Amino acid sequence: MSKRITIDPITRIEGHLRIDVEVENYAVSNAWASCTMWRGIETILRDRDPRDAWMFTQRFCGVCTTVHAMASVRAVEDALKLPVPANAQYIRNLILIAHALHDHIVHFYQLSALDWVDILQIPKADPAAASKLAEGLSPWTRNSRNELKAAQDKVKAVAASGQLGIFQNGYWGHPAMRLSPEVNLLAFTHYIQALEYQRKALQVVGMLGSKTPHIQNLLVGGVANAIDLDNQSALGMDKLEQIRILLNEVARFINEVYLVDVCAVAAMYPEWFKIGSGVMNYLAVPDLPLDSNAATYDLPGGDIMQGNVGGIQPFKTASDLVFRESVTEDVTHAYYQGEKPLHPWVGETEPQFTEWDGEKKYSWVKGPRYKGQPMQVGPLAQVLIGYAQGHPLTRKYADLALGQVSAIARVNATPALLHSTLGRHAARAIRAAMLAELAQKHWQLLVDNIAKGDLTVRNEPVFPFGESEGVGTHEAPRGTLSHWVVIQHGKIKNYQAVVPSTWNASPRDESGTRGPYEASLLHTPLARPEEPLEVLRTVHSFDPCMACACHAFDPSGRQIARVKVL
Amino acid sequence: MKKKITIGGIGSILLGDDGVGPYVAGILQASYHFDECVTVADLGTPGLDLVAHLSGIDALILIDSVKNQDPPGTVTLYRKEDILRHCPAPVRMDPHSPALSESLLIAELAGEGPQNILLIGITGEQYHAGAGLSAAVRQAADRSILEVLAELDRLNASYSKLQAAPFSVWWNPMTEPARATSQV
Repeated sequence: MSKRITIDPITRIEGHLRIDVEVENYAVSNAWASCTMWRGIETILRDRDPRDAWMFTQRFCGVCTTVHAMASVRAVEDALKLPVPANAQYIRNLILIAHALHDHIVHFYQLSALDWVDILQIPKADPAAASKLAEGLSPWTRNSRNELKAAQDKVKAVAASGQLGIFQNGYWGHPAMRLSPEVNLLAFTHYIQALEYQRKALQVVGMLGSKTPHIQNLLVGGVANAIDLDNQSALGMDKLEQIRILLNEVARFINEVYLVDVCAVAAMYPEWFKIGSGVMNYLAVPDLPLDSNAATYDLPGGDIMQGNVGGIQPFKTASDLVFRESVTEDVTHAYYQGEKPLHPWVGETEPQFTEWDGEKKYSWVKGPRYKGQPMQVGPLAQVLIGYAQGHPLTRKYADLALGQVSAIARVNATPALLHSTLGRHAARAIRAAMLAELAQKHWQLLVDNIAKGDLTVRNEPVFPFGESEGVGTHEAPRGTLSHWVVIQHGKIKNYQAVVPSTWNASPRDESGTRGPYEASLLHTPLARPEEPLEVLRTVHSFDPCMACACHAFDPSGRQIARVKVL
Repeated sequence: MKKKITIGGIGSILLGDDGVGPYVAGILQASYHFDECVTVADLGTPGLDLVAHLSGIDALILIDSVKNQDPPGTVTLYRKEDILRHCPAPVRMDPHSPALSESLLIAELAGEGPQNILLIGITGEQYHAGAGLSAAVRQAADRSILEVLAELDRLNASYSKLQAAPFSVWWNPMTEPARATSQV
């Protein structure tokens, strides 16, 4: 007998992720991912000035603001074939890195760690034993008995109050929770510390971008930062030194805490290296351009099809011809009119709402396809694509992480294990460590370039008469983001954003092939189907972001989630 | 020590009346001079990254659109206990959904949350892409500013009105597009 479980968080936002799974013999036998609302935000851009587009696109999503700003200016620059001065590339790269570091830290600690860490076990922990355990894992200086005890006291106070507050709704005591009280305490202590370090990363975004959450310093053709090493109000040595210190502190947290915690938690849940693979087609674009013409990059891209890591096809540039020509969107199972999959430059968005029907139409998300196939994007794709082409920095941190897992779990952890739920978490920490190292490099590149006397930050855009098309990409925290623009006589004629979470949350396509979330949930074991913690573990491992959202506050508290078991 | 105060406008400027929070933040920034201890921010539509903006401050004043049973344009004040009365979503599917109550709880857990919280809620009428503010909500924006100033008075923070040109938002109406500069 199969049961149907719907996880549909009815929050105050309209437009969120809904997951339906069928469960047979305590395992998922079928799955559907859907988004519950269409907003049509892209239509706002038609007829507007391409130079302003980024200010609108950074409002697509309240969390991924900078990434949509960056993809937008890159799309217009691609259409104009406009190079970007080296200083502007480095400043943009530093902003993107700092934003990604903030995002990855928050994702692991605040958004997904409590899928694995049981808060209610923490009062039983022995802080001295936990501190000793931590010393064996990491040189981090903030694992002292006192610091751990203070964190434990916070949990005790919350538990004693009878109001669990932020912890009210976890699946505490679930049979799939298996960490010792001491490991739970360590992870929770770092949950608190993570708040501090994600904020430091965000400070860097604010210092370079002049504001958060919406940066102000972008321009088509470059950036608006005035560079003057001796002037405190411009981007000078004072500010650059503060940025360097902040980035170093964040890097230390990532290397000594985040990466270590992910490896330790992974080593204690080794079965999750065998769960959650799903779609094994991977896509990533190159990012962090190293020169004005974006001829070389610090992060590699490419595609891997059908899990054939040896068959990696690298991309030369961030708007590689293969990528430009291979992307389509399929609406067979999405609430839109249309027959054939369409390329984003000629993309149409005509809503055609019907009731949820898993056999027919069931999502507001279109199904992006690459060479006709669903693709998994995100840190796992980034790491596998780098590893497969022998990218030294990827190998350095991936081998380090796999080595740590091997040492703690006393197994031989190989890169093949990464095709999994835990692999996605590990890959995110690996990517974060790579980015933290690259932050220091790009800081130095910027300072060295300024020291040579180059203060240029912008090339003036010139809009030709007639029509031109551009694609701007960014390998964002959640994966490949692409903005597709058609400009006619200096005005926007068409604009489409193909965002990472639509690749991963894609519904089935015309051939019935499942999207990455859907495929990854198949065969997932469920200890208690009415408490589908295991489904959440896999969905959260993708770091979904569907909330390009309407935020009206609902004081009546109708922000209940519905877990419906039929 | 003066109290550190953040005034934040929340909402999406792309979605009709949801943009009223950023709209009010824009008016405040353009038309008033505030004490150094006051920060005015257009916070957009934050998820848990909101924690960063409400840590280490003493008082928080938010302006946001609300959904309740009142007529469009109604201004309602909510205090901390009103916001926290109903707990966060039991199952968080999408880690980036709006998270005002969760962010407050997390900041509090870390011992960094603001003591004093006021949410000025404006009942919205429509949330369509690109629609701009409806008339009732635009009028309510002016009333919400009086509430912001009254709260600053209660907190003993000073401000003064600037003799500035009337405020207009950059996102609406449509700006003049770039002209094509050369014939092919």
